[in-house]
Amino acid sequence: MALDIDSSPPPIFRQGLPALSRLVLFGLLSVLLMSADHRLGLSQPIRSAVSVVLAPLQWAVLLPERAGSALQDYFTGVDEARDAARQYQSRTIAQAQRLQQAEQLLQENRQLRELLQLMQDTPGPSKAVQLLYETANPYSHTIVVDKGSLSGIVQGSVVVDVAGVVGQVTRVYPHLSEVTLLTDRNQNIPVLNARTGQRFIAGGDPLTLGGSLELRFVPASADLKEGDLLTTSGIDGIYPAGLQVAHIRHIDRRIDNAFAKVHALPIAVGRGRHMLVLAPVSDWPARPVKAEAPAQPQSRGKSHGASHSATPKASAGSAP
Amino acid sequence: MIMPAGRHLLLPANPRFIALSLLLALMLHMLLGLANQGWMPDVLALVLAFWTVHQPRRVGMLAAFVLGLAADVHESALLGQNALAYVVMSHFASVISRRVLWFSLHQQALQMLPVFVLAALLEWVIRFITDDLLPQWPQLIAPLLQSALWPVFGHALLAPQRRPVDRDDIRPL
Repeated sequence: MALDIDSSPPPIFRQGLPALSRLVLFGLLSVLLMSADHRLGLSQPIRSAVSVVLAPLQWAVLLPERAGSALQDYFTGVDEARDAARQYQSRTIAQAQRLQQAEQLLQENRQLRELLQLMQDTPGPSKAVQLLYETANPYSHTIVVDKGSLSGIVQGSVVVDVAGVVGQVTRVYPHLSEVTLLTDRNQNIPVLNARTGQRFIAGGDPLTLGGSLELRFVPASADLKEGDLLTTSGIDGIYPAGLQVAHIRHIDRRIDNAFAKVHALPIAVGRGRHMLVLAPVSDWPARPVKAEAPAQPQSRGKSHGASHSATPKASAGSAP
Repeated sequence: MIMPAGRHLLLPANPRFIALSLLLALMLHMLLGLANQGWMPDVLALVLAFWTVHQPRRVGMLAAFVLGLAADVHESALLGQNALAYVVMSHFASVISRRVLWFSLHQQALQMLPVFVLAALLEWVIRFITDDLLPQWPQLIAPLLQSALWPVFGHALLAPQRRPVDRDDIRPL
C-alpha cells in the first residue's frame, strides 16, 4: 500500500543504536522515572519543566471548552442570574443573625482562649482559583486549577468551595496546581462528628456510592447516625478546624466485626468552577519529642517549643 | 522491493507535517481526556504507531518517550507510565513495519491490534504493581477502538503524500 519514494536511500552503515538496545535504554529510563516518582518523590522538577512547556498547549486545548461555557452562560444568563440573586438574598437574610453572632462569638472565643492560654487558631491567607480540567486518569480523582507556585499556592493547602472541603493541593507547578479530591483512594482527612465531637479519620473510597468517604477504624459502638455532619477537626495543623466535609450516609455494623463500616458523602460534589485555596495553618507548634528519661521538673523550661502543645491540656485541666 | 500491482507510489513524507500531526494528536488526546471516559481511544498512541510503522527512520522511540512523558504530566499519572507503554509499542511497531506495509490500511488495522493491546496491558500491569488496582471494564475497549480508527487516521495522514508530483493546472479532469 504505502511505499514511498524517499529522497535518500536508507543508511547501510550508520544505523545508530540497535533497536533492542534503544528499547532497553528507554525502558530502563521510564522504570527509573517511575520508581523515582512512586517511591522517592524526586521527579517534581522534571514534572514542572514538562508542565511549563505544555502550558500553552493546554491553554489552547481548553479554549473551545471555555468558549462553549461562555456561550452557554450568555444564553441561559439572565434568568439564572435572577434566580441565583434571589436565592443568595434569601440565604443571606437567613444567615444574617448567625453571622452577626459569629462575629461576637469569635471575639469571645479569642478572649477565652487567651484567658485559658490556649493556642489561637488563626486562618492562613486564601487564594481564589478556577477549575481548569479534571485529569483523564482513571486511577485517581484529581483536578487541575489555574494557579501555581508563582501565585503563592503551597503544597498541602486545603481547597474549599461554597459548600465545603473539595480536596487538598498535592502537586504545585509554576502555573498550575493539582488538587486531589476527597474521594481519591489515597486521600485522608481528619474529621469530627459535629453532633458528638468524636474524631475520626476519613479516607477516600472512589468505588462505593459513586465516590464517597469511608471512616477508618470506627468502633462498632460509636455514636453515629445517618445524616451526621462531619467537619474538619483541625488537629493536624494543615486543615483549619470547622470546615464542612461530608454527611454520613451509610452505617454497617456487624456482630463479627469490632469496627463499623461507615460511608459518608462529601458535601462539595457539585464541583463548581470557583474554589478557594486556604494555606496550611502557619503557627502550628512542632511535634512533641518523646523524652527518653522521665521528665525532670527543672528541664521543662529549656524545651519550651517541644512541650508547647502539651500546655493547653495541662492548663485546661487545671483551670477548673 | 517489488510493488504489488495497483498500488500508489507515495511522495516522500514531509518531516514538518509529521511533527505537526504528532503535536495535533497530543492536543486531541488532551481534548478527548476532558470527557474523562475510560473507553476513549488513545489518539496519541495511534498517530505515534502510525508514523513508526510508516516512517521508522523519522519517528521512533525518542519521540514516543517524550510524548509519553507529556501525556503523563498532563494526566497526572505516574511519571513514565505512558512513556514506557509508548516506547514498547513503538519498538514492536517498528519491528513489524516491514511486513505490515505490504497490506492495505484495513488489513494493517488488524495486525496493529496486538501492539495496541500490548501497550494497554503494560499500562494496566504497571498500575497493578504500583497501586494494586485493576483496570475498569470500559478501558478494555480502548485498544479495539484505536485499531478500528487506524484506517481513518491512515487516510488522513497519508493524504499529503498522495498529491500528484507536479501540479497540472490545465489538465481537463
